[in-house]
Amino acid sequence: MTRTYISHHPLDGLLPLEPGIRAVDHLDVPRAVAIASVMAMEGEEASVTAGLAASGDISVRFAGPGEWLALSRSETPDSLERALSLLLAETAYVFEQSDGRVVFRLSGPNVRRILAKGIATDLHPGSFEIGTSSNVLCGHIGVNLARTGENEFELIAMRSFAVALFDDLRVMGREFDLSAGFSTLG
Amino acid sequence: MTAYRLASGGLVDRNAPLDFRFDGRNLAGFSGDTLASALLASDQLLVGRSFKYHRPRGIVTAGPSEPNALVTIGKGANSDPNTKATVAELYSGLDARSQNRFPSLKYDVGAVNGLLSPFLGAGFYYKTFMWPAAFWEKVYEPIIRKAAGLGRAVLERDPQSYEKCWAHCDLLVVGSGPAGLMAALTAGRAGLRVILADEDFRLGGSLLGETVRIDGVYAPDFAETALSELRSLPNVTMMPRTTVFGWYDDNVFGAVERVQKHVALPQAKLPVERLWRIVAKRALLASGAEERPLVFGGNDKPGVMMVGAMRTYANRFGVAAGKSVAIFTNGSAGYRTAADLVAHGVDIAAIIDSRADVSEVAPDGVRVIRSASVIDTKGRQRVSGAVVERSGFEQTIACDAIGMSGGWNPVIHLACQRGAKAVWSEDLKTFLAPDVGNGLVVAGAAAGRYSLAGCLQDGADKAAMIVADLGFSASAHTAPVVDGEIDPSFTALWYSPGAKAKAFVDFQNDVHVKDIGLALREGFGHVEHAKRYTTNGMATDQGKLSGINATGLLAAMQGISPADVGTTTFRPFYTPVAFGAMAGTSRDEHAAPVRKSPLHGWAQRNGAVFVDSGLWYRPAYFTQHGEKTWRESADREVLNIRENVGLCDVSTLGKIEIFGPDAAEFLNRLYCNPFLKLPVGKARYGLMLREDGMVYDDGTTSRLSPEHFVMTTTTALAVGVMSHMEYCAQVHWPDLKVRFCSSTDQWAQMAIAGPKARLVMQALVEDDVSDAAFPFLAAGIVTLKGGVKARLFRISFSGELAYELAVPAGLGDAVADAIMEEGRAHGICAYGVEALNVLRIEKGHVTHAEFDGRVTPDDAGFGRMVSAQKPDFIGKRLSTRYGLTAADRMQMVGLKPVEADQHIRAGAHLLREGAKPSTLNDQGYVSSACFSPTLGHAIALAFLKSGRERYGERIVVWDKLAGAEVVAEVCNPVFVDPGNAKLNS
Amino acid sequence: MASLIHCPHCGIRPKEEFSIRGDASLVRPDPAASDEAWNDYVHIRSNPRGRYHEHWQHGAGCRRWLVVERDTFTHEVFSVTDAASVARKAGR
Repeated sequence: MTRTYISHHPLDGLLPLEPGIRAVDHLDVPRAVAIASVMAMEGEEASVTAGLAASGDISVRFAGPGEWLALSRSETPDSLERALSLLLAETAYVFEQSDGRVVFRLSGPNVRRILAKGIATDLHPGSFEIGTSSNVLCGHIGVNLARTGENEFELIAMRSFAVALFDDLRVMGREFDLSAGFSTLG
Repeated sequence: MTAYRLASGGLVDRNAPLDFRFDGRNLAGFSGDTLASALLASDQLLVGRSFKYHRPRGIVTAGPSEPNALVTIGKGANSDPNTKATVAELYSGLDARSQNRFPSLKYDVGAVNGLLSPFLGAGFYYKTFMWPAAFWEKVYEPIIRKAAGLGRAVLERDPQSYEKCWAHCDLLVVGSGPAGLMAALTAGRAGLRVILADEDFRLGGSLLGETVRIDGVYAPDFAETALSELRSLPNVTMMPRTTVFGWYDDNVFGAVERVQKHVALPQAKLPVERLWRIVAKRALLASGAEERPLVFGGNDKPGVMMVGAMRTYANRFGVAAGKSVAIFTNGSAGYRTAADLVAHGVDIAAIIDSRADVSEVAPDGVRVIRSASVIDTKGRQRVSGAVVERSGFEQTIACDAIGMSGGWNPVIHLACQRGAKAVWSEDLKTFLAPDVGNGLVVAGAAAGRYSLAGCLQDGADKAAMIVADLGFSASAHTAPVVDGEIDPSFTALWYSPGAKAKAFVDFQNDVHVKDIGLALREGFGHVEHAKRYTTNGMATDQGKLSGINATGLLAAMQGISPADVGTTTFRPFYTPVAFGAMAGTSRDEHAAPVRKSPLHGWAQRNGAVFVDSGLWYRPAYFTQHGEKTWRESADREVLNIRENVGLCDVSTLGKIEIFGPDAAEFLNRLYCNPFLKLPVGKARYGLMLREDGMVYDDGTTSRLSPEHFVMTTTTALAVGVMSHMEYCAQVHWPDLKVRFCSSTDQWAQMAIAGPKARLVMQALVEDDVSDAAFPFLAAGIVTLKGGVKARLFRISFSGELAYELAVPAGLGDAVADAIMEEGRAHGICAYGVEALNVLRIEKGHVTHAEFDGRVTPDDAGFGRMVSAQKPDFIGKRLSTRYGLTAADRMQMVGLKPVEADQHIRAGAHLLREGAKPSTLNDQGYVSSACFSPTLGHAIALAFLKSGRERYGERIVVWDKLAGAEVVAEVCNPVFVDPGNAKLNS
Repeated sequence: MASLIHCPHCGIRPKEEFSIRGDASLVRPDPAASDEAWNDYVHIRSNPRGRYHEHWQHGAGCRRWLVVERDTFTHEVFSVTDAASVARKAGR
């Protein structure tokens, strides 16, 4: 017997299925993002950096020296892993983690004031430029933080912490009536 | 009626009246009032009873150093005890109560303590209540606690919400008075990221109570102009109602913002208080100076007030402290206040000046008595006169308030919080901040610049230096010109001689001059000892008013300089901060994050009862068919797995992916057993030691390809093992080519165990999972019917034929449902950690109940696993040391009660039959115990001296906590299937 | 309340992101080294007042082990270096 398994998002049931009223400050949760850990082989850090930079569609997040998270909205988890394995054959180990990570996208004029309630890093536009990313602590929970736009940040958390982080972000955003919903882009 | 609201003037909004309550009385004030100014305007002079003697006390200051006017604001769970009325912003509906009085403020029974005062001198606690020892806790302390005290702590749950926040700036300016304002302007104009914080609800500091003109403008208007320019600068953040309470490492400042303390109905979306951690490249401390009280007889009577406070109440709040005011001063401040009060139409009864030579000019018609001192005050619950002594002659001057001014103490608290000691200035007769480097610079009155022009100039100059230091350029500035300023000098006067009543040093703690003298005579003259012995400078105010006078008195009594006495240690917090603010949002479900397994939903649907396991929630057992106890559920689950099959969520086990050409070598050094030659497609049980030879953690590690392994750790040590591996790789063996990443969250992992496990697995998996194709300890990638790639391991914790299946976490719920569906025909059940624990005890499998840090591999029966061939591994060297190889070490054994209906509990100790319980007679302990539904009686795992040689022996299981003694038989720890027939079936 | 560590890989971070292991000057002895050498390595710690090299892990950041040189009395931090590079320089 052939079965079809339907994937669940950890915030299923916590976020409305239909997009609601969007406040100026909004938390957007994409349901599916392909994510892989990329770990450079010894001495290959520079070539992996160059390879990832040239990959176009794939966004890259710094995790540690020689270690990154690679993200794609258009690839499937399998195709991302294949693409990276081809691109970085002989230079990096690739491990697909799409189910192990959850992406939160915060945007709006008050986004820095919201994040400052959990994150100690200085997020001033002049200090944390667009494209910067790093692992940081948000409250009690470790996340990868990236500035993805003028007033837009992405947090990537481990799946088991997703509900707890979501609850924290809601409290942090309460002052600014932060709205939240699954991404309409998928 | 004496204190009253002036007909005009002040910065209060007379068009915005506010109703409030004090001790049940309905009173009224204006918007812009503090509770203290509104009380004073209503002539409520008496605001509290003192700590020890229950003496009536009134408002003394107009700011955060207030020792007396401590009230409880709010009701029930929402009440805030020990709130200073002098900083509490008035709002409509504010409900305040006085403290430390019974039955009422006016008629207080505790005042009898005042009659006993000869017995309540310094150190009285230590002297009086020495004997008998048992009386201290049961009799003396409760009585003292009831009699002496401040507000009452609220025992109810705090319904208010708090939060914490980080901020970053180039320059933090603490204080918005003349120095702070000029500093913020200078730095803000130069483009620095500036934060201007002030504890007051209205920014401007002392300028708000000034009458002089600055650059031709009335001082409060000058402040308003500066503030509006600062508000227009996007790089400047203004933080009113924010007390910077602490200076910490790396120039991080702690501050508390009272976001909604001043509103009757707080908004739910905002916190009531917010705790800030401000990371400042530089900070400028412009916290001003406190006026120093004078220590004279009867100086604690309601109506005695600092002259600076009188001036603030008159100029800023439009309130006169009295109709006829006597002023006792040792410097110019008294004359300045006299002039302002006269301008407001208040009568000045006299200026009593301790100095002989006086250059100041008193207002027209005001009598000045030089070389004189106040030696007593008249009146019971409020001042009605001052007894003045001059050249041996006494006279009583009728008045309804007495202003006192003893000079100035710069507020240097923050600068001294990190260990540097305050420095005595002989010139200024006060303590100044030490040089604490360029991270924190002190300016204005806080730096001993008391003139207004000096403050304005100093703030601008010091900020300009910081601007240049940080690589910005400051625009040229000219210092504002101040008209009509006075010379702020004074002559130090530590004690006004000839007192005919108690002369108080510390109003809050009821310490008077004689207490300080007593402390000195009894050998507690060191400033820190004197503080503890007399309680001077303790409690909520921490000596803000009294500290320097105590130092001065200790110095004067010994004939030495205050420099040789020093100050007591300054520590955070500058003013008390609510615990709630420090906790922020970290309470209830936000106190620690909850980690949820990808199978959480599946478990809920199947009736799971959850248990905390570190941050995780794990199913403990699954309730079915009206089962009433956990035992009923767990027993059913165990029996079903031994007979049919069960499904358990093991997603919480740590999973670490290990890559690299040296991955096998790395594991070989990490584990005590060999891993170098583990074939691809195989799992192996691994035992990790600590460097001292004790077991650290265990788990299975599987080789998925020549350079890729996946390790499992216990749930408890997943984080620790990862960190340990990183330490080994980065610090011990940086030459090894190996990389790790945690994949714990990527997988939903399920154990399918029981004789019918294969039937269920084969229904779901395309690949052949027969024993021949997928034998015990096989590991690899399989495809589920329908195309999902999964990891499959033939490993077993229960001792049954078992598989662990790992699928991408998002699919976990659906796959678990499918397994339950396929398994229904085979009698599948969900099982939790309780059943898992019973199953593993029956099989003699260990967990951290056994591996408690004192157990070697051999103790647990794994002696033969430890490689003798490997040149090195973590723990190798010390595992061979004497003591770890001794013959009488405690070894793991099984126990079963001789009488089948008896129970054994973990934690019980083992004794030979007939031996008395003692450390010497201790034979071992029980590490795990349970009722075995499979065997029908209790079983246990225990560590027993030379245990493996003692199978068959009877031993006493002695449980002091439960008061039970059970005789048990020592046996092999594997109770079920010792031949592993089930495992390999 | 707070203190900050300058991680060479991640920048300025609060101490909450780190965990401290202890003396970084200790080097794991050769398996054949003397009992004394091993006893010193595993059990003996000096706990000095003043300048000290410690191993800190940036657990909530890059997960690298770092050598933090600081004053145990004032908590002044003098340098923060990646532990692997220190180990490699020392020939490990």
